[in-house]
Amino acid sequence: MIEFQSVSKKYSDSANTLALADVSLNIAKGELVYLAGPSGAGKSTLMKMVAAIERPSSGRVIVNGQDVGRLRKAGIPFLRRNLGLIFQNQRLLNDRHLLANVMLPLIVTGATRAQAEQRARAALDKVGLEGRALALPLELSGGEQQRVAIARAIVNRPQIILADEPTANLDRAAADKVIDALHAFHSVGVTCVISTHDDQILDSAARVIRLEHGQLTGGAA
Amino acid sequence: MNVWFRQHRFALGAALSHVRKAPGSFLFNVLVVAVALALPFAGVTLLDNVRPLSEQLSVDPELSLFLKADTPREQAQALAPQLQQILRGTHAKVSFVPREQALATLKDKSGLTDVIETLGDNPLPDSYVMRLEGFTSRADAARVDGLADQMRALPGVDAVQVDSAWVKRLAALLGVLRLALLLLAITLGIVVIAVVFNTIRLQVLTQREEIAVSKLLGATDNFIHRPFYYTGALLGLCAGAVALGAVALALRPLNTAIAEFARLYASEFQLSPLPPLAMAALLAISAGLGLVGAMLSVQRHLARLS
Repeated sequence: MIEFQSVSKKYSDSANTLALADVSLNIAKGELVYLAGPSGAGKSTLMKMVAAIERPSSGRVIVNGQDVGRLRKAGIPFLRRNLGLIFQNQRLLNDRHLLANVMLPLIVTGATRAQAEQRARAALDKVGLEGRALALPLELSGGEQQRVAIARAIVNRPQIILADEPTANLDRAAADKVIDALHAFHSVGVTCVISTHDDQILDSAARVIRLEHGQLTGGAA
Repeated sequence: MNVWFRQHRFALGAALSHVRKAPGSFLFNVLVVAVALALPFAGVTLLDNVRPLSEQLSVDPELSLFLKADTPREQAQALAPQLQQILRGTHAKVSFVPREQALATLKDKSGLTDVIETLGDNPLPDSYVMRLEGFTSRADAARVDGLADQMRALPGVDAVQVDSAWVKRLAALLGVLRLALLLLAITLGIVVIAVVFNTIRLQVLTQREEIAVSKLLGATDNFIHRPFYYTGALLGLCAGAVALGAVALALRPLNTAIAEFARLYASEFQLSPLPPLAMAALLAISAGLGLVGAMLSVQRHLARLS
C-alpha cells in the first residue's frame, strides 16, 4: 500500500538539510505502523511525502500504486482524499464549530450538506464528541481537539490514516484515548501510520519503524 | 453536473459568509469601487442622451438661400434651373420653401405662435434649401463656399448661408467626448481591478490557514479559488449598482437645472436614466472587472502561499 524505494530528501535551505537518506520500506494494506525517532529524525518528512506535501529529491514513493513524486499537481487532491491526515497541532478552523470542521473533507469532494452533516455527526460520535458538535474548537481541551481532528480524518472513510505526533502535548489519559480511537479504525481495516516518540505507546506496538538522522535504523521490512 | 452546481453554491455561500463577517470592510470597498465607476457611468448616461440629438442632425453641408422679401413668387421659382446649373456635377437635393411654409414650420417648432401672430404680415422670405451629399473633406468645404458665392450673385438673392459647420463641430466634439470617455473608463477600470485585487489579497492572507487545511483535506485549486472569484464579482456588482443608483439620483437636480436652460430654447430636453438593457450591461461589466481583479489576485497570492 505504501512503498518507499531508496528515497532521499534534501531541503534547499541554507544548511542543505538531508531529512531522509536512501530510505526503503513497505507498509502493507491494513497494517498499523509506528514511526519512532527523536525530533529531526525525518518522521514528519516521511509522512509529508506520502501525502505529496513534499516530493522526494531522489527515489520513488508509491501510494496505492501511484508514484507520488511524479503525480501532477491536479492529481494531488484526489490522492489526499484517500488519506486521513492528523497533525500534532490539530489544525482545526477555530472560527467554525466542530461539525463544520468535520464536514469540510466531504464538502470539498462535492457531498451534499445533508450527507456531509450526517456523516460528520457519525464521525464525531465515534470519537465520543457528538454531543459537542456545535462547540467551537477553542472551547475544547487539547485531547478533545485531537479527537475532532481524528473525526475529520476518518469522515471520508480513507484507506490510510497518517497521524503525525497525535499525542504530543497531551496528558496520559488524553493520549490513551487518541491512540484507542486510532486503533479502533485500524481494527476495521484502515492502514494507520502513527509517528511518536512516546515510548509507552511503542511498548504495545506490533511494528515500529525507527529513524535517526534521516536513516532507517529498524523495522523497514 | 450536480456536484458542479453544489460546489458553486458552496463557493457563493462562502463568499457571502465572508461578507457577513466583515460587512463594514466590504461596504467601504464597494463605495471606493462605486466612486470609480460612477464617473464613466455618468459619461455613458450623458452620451446616451446626447446621441439621439446628434444622430438627427445631418453632417452633410446644407445651403440656405434667402430671396429678397419683395421678390415675386414666379421669379423666385424661376431661380431653380439656375441653381441646378450651379450645382451640376454634385449630388444635391434642392427644395423650394415658400414663405408661408416657412412661417408654418416656425410656428410649429418654436412654440412662439402668439408672438408671431402679433407681427401681422409674414416677415419670412421665400427660400431654397440645398443639401449636398458627399462633401466631407476640407477641400469640399472650400468648394461649398464657392457654390455659395455663385448663388449670391443671382438676381433677387438676399443671403446664402452655409449651415453644416456647427453640425460638423458637434459631431467632432462628440467623437472627442466618446474617446475621452473610453480612456477614462479604461483608467478607472484599472482602478477597480486594483481595488478588488487588494481586497482579495487581504482576504487570502486572513484565510491562509483555512486554505492550507482545505488543500490538505483534498480540495482542488478550483474549490479554493471559487469563493474569492465570487467575492470579487459580488464586489463589482454591488459597486456597479451603487454607481448606477448614484447617477440616477444625480439626474434629478441636474434635470431641474437643464429644464430651465432648455426652456430658453423652447426645448423640453431632459436627461433620462439608461435603458434597462444598458444598465444590465454596465452591471455585467462591473461584475466582470471585479472577477478579473479577483482572478489576478488569487493566481498571484495563492501561488505564493503554495
